[in-house]
Amino acid sequence: MSKGFTPPVRFTRLVLKVNAFLLIALLLVGAFMGLVAYKQGWFIQQTPINFVTRNSLGINKGMPVKLYGFTVGTVSDMQLAQNGVAVKLSIISSHMERIPKGSRAKFARESGVVGASVIEIIPGRSDQPLGEDEYIDFEPSRGLSEIIDDFRRQAVPAFQEIKQVMSQFNRGSEEVTSAMISLRREIDRLPETHRAVQKLLDTATRATENIERVTATVDRAAPALVGKLSTTLDSLNSAAGSIQRTGKEAEEVMRRLKPALELGEATARDASDIVSAAKRSWPLKESFKPSEALLPIDSFESYGIGAPQK
Amino acid sequence: MNPSRATLGLLFLLAGCGAPGPQPPAAQARLEDANVRGASQLRAGDHAGAARRYEDAMRIARSLDDADSVAVNSINLSIVYQRMGRDADARAVLAPLVAEERNAYSATRRMQAELRMAIIVLAARDTAGASAWARRAQERCQALSCAQLPAIQNVLAQAALESGDAAGAATLAEAAADRARQQDDKSETANALRLAGRAQRALGNAPAAVQVLQQALDIDRELADPRKIMADLLELAHASLAAGNKQAARDYQERATTISRTLKDDK
Repeated sequence: MSKGFTPPVRFTRLVLKVNAFLLIALLLVGAFMGLVAYKQGWFIQQTPINFVTRNSLGINKGMPVKLYGFTVGTVSDMQLAQNGVAVKLSIISSHMERIPKGSRAKFARESGVVGASVIEIIPGRSDQPLGEDEYIDFEPSRGLSEIIDDFRRQAVPAFQEIKQVMSQFNRGSEEVTSAMISLRREIDRLPETHRAVQKLLDTATRATENIERVTATVDRAAPALVGKLSTTLDSLNSAAGSIQRTGKEAEEVMRRLKPALELGEATARDASDIVSAAKRSWPLKESFKPSEALLPIDSFESYGIGAPQK
Repeated sequence: MNPSRATLGLLFLLAGCGAPGPQPPAAQARLEDANVRGASQLRAGDHAGAARRYEDAMRIARSLDDADSVAVNSINLSIVYQRMGRDADARAVLAPLVAEERNAYSATRRMQAELRMAIIVLAARDTAGASAWARRAQERCQALSCAQLPAIQNVLAQAALESGDAAGAATLAEAAADRARQQDDKSETANALRLAGRAQRALGNAPAAVQVLQQALDIDRELADPRKIMADLLELAHASLAAGNKQAARDYQERATTISRTLKDDK
């Protein structure tokens, strides 16, 4: 009955087979872990650098860190600090030589305003590379509201300039109109002036006749004087003719200018309408809100400086 | 796509969503226009023109039964009239606002009118009257937590200084300066520092006065108000003389005289 146990033939060298199976399984698990570690970058030597931000909204662990748009590391840790949040970046050591001292970190999005958020490294100008665990400056990103604010800041002076130019143009056209009205009034009075000059000429002609009679009685004693008077009268006649011609030309100019002035006035009115409509539109209406009409109350006025001396 | 172009495009796209807001009524537009032109003429030193604009604005506001605009234009007119030397008119235009009986004006406008009254009265060297008006304004201001508290404290400080209470004036001026700095009100900060400097000189501490007045001058030069710069330079001349620095005093005096002459030439 003390016969020893004999394993069945199909289980020969069972221990060896089990051990081989376990070894292969172990190797496979090891290879998988190695692959994961390689993919996670555990074999790549990394150098930590830091920055402090007042507001870490949008920054997360694992967020990529980019240099010239190329991923050089990740956000590895975030801790509450004295004046904000201390953010640790793990940078692939081989890229550290491209990040000199004086570099800055910036929160950015891949397509400007939209897209995945990243930490962008803006390299400084120093020759020395950044050391391990050193701190760099951080530039918070500009939000949409800040971009709009910036646009508004730039646009408002331009619109004010336009407004000023338009008001000057309006004033200018008012002045031209009033000048034209005065000129027109003068032109209207030209026939009257012409009549007065004609009357003067008639009187002068009668005076000449009298003088001629006088000269005849003095036996043509002063023929030279008569000649001069005659010349003067000719000059007066031609001057009257010139005035008449100038009046006609001015009337012609007026006729030509009138449509241009009307067009200018209409354009100014249209531009004014456009500017006022733009001022009432989003997003500019916020900038052109009617300002508080109250003048600033300044206690300096109690000095009494500035009022005219009595 | 270029990100800046995309941003610009997005901005214009959003701008297109906004239709022009409603056009203000014609009378309201004329009222606003008169106010804007009045302020512009006052800045340009055309006091008579500014007064005409504000009188027009007042008429329009009355025709619209717009109590707040009437109050605003009354206060503005009081400022313009005072600069023209028409103190009686300046007081008369404020009288309905500061009347004791119940009126249609808000507590804020009444407080502002009382402050203006205090300023006008103090400019006429009636320190007691100015203090009384300023205290009335201060009571209302504290209830409203208004922005004019530094100006009120400055008026009280100046009234105290001109009544001979230099220590009280120094305390009030320092409080006014602190409050104005909190509100980032540079104009009233400079006014408070100028008063603090005057008070220090009256207390016999001329070197401290020079230091404080120099700060006031720096702010006023930043604000570019020639009247205030001139006042600072005159105070600095007095304080430097009291500190025994005759050369500096002469220098400040000459600079103040140059500004005064230029202002007269401009007029």
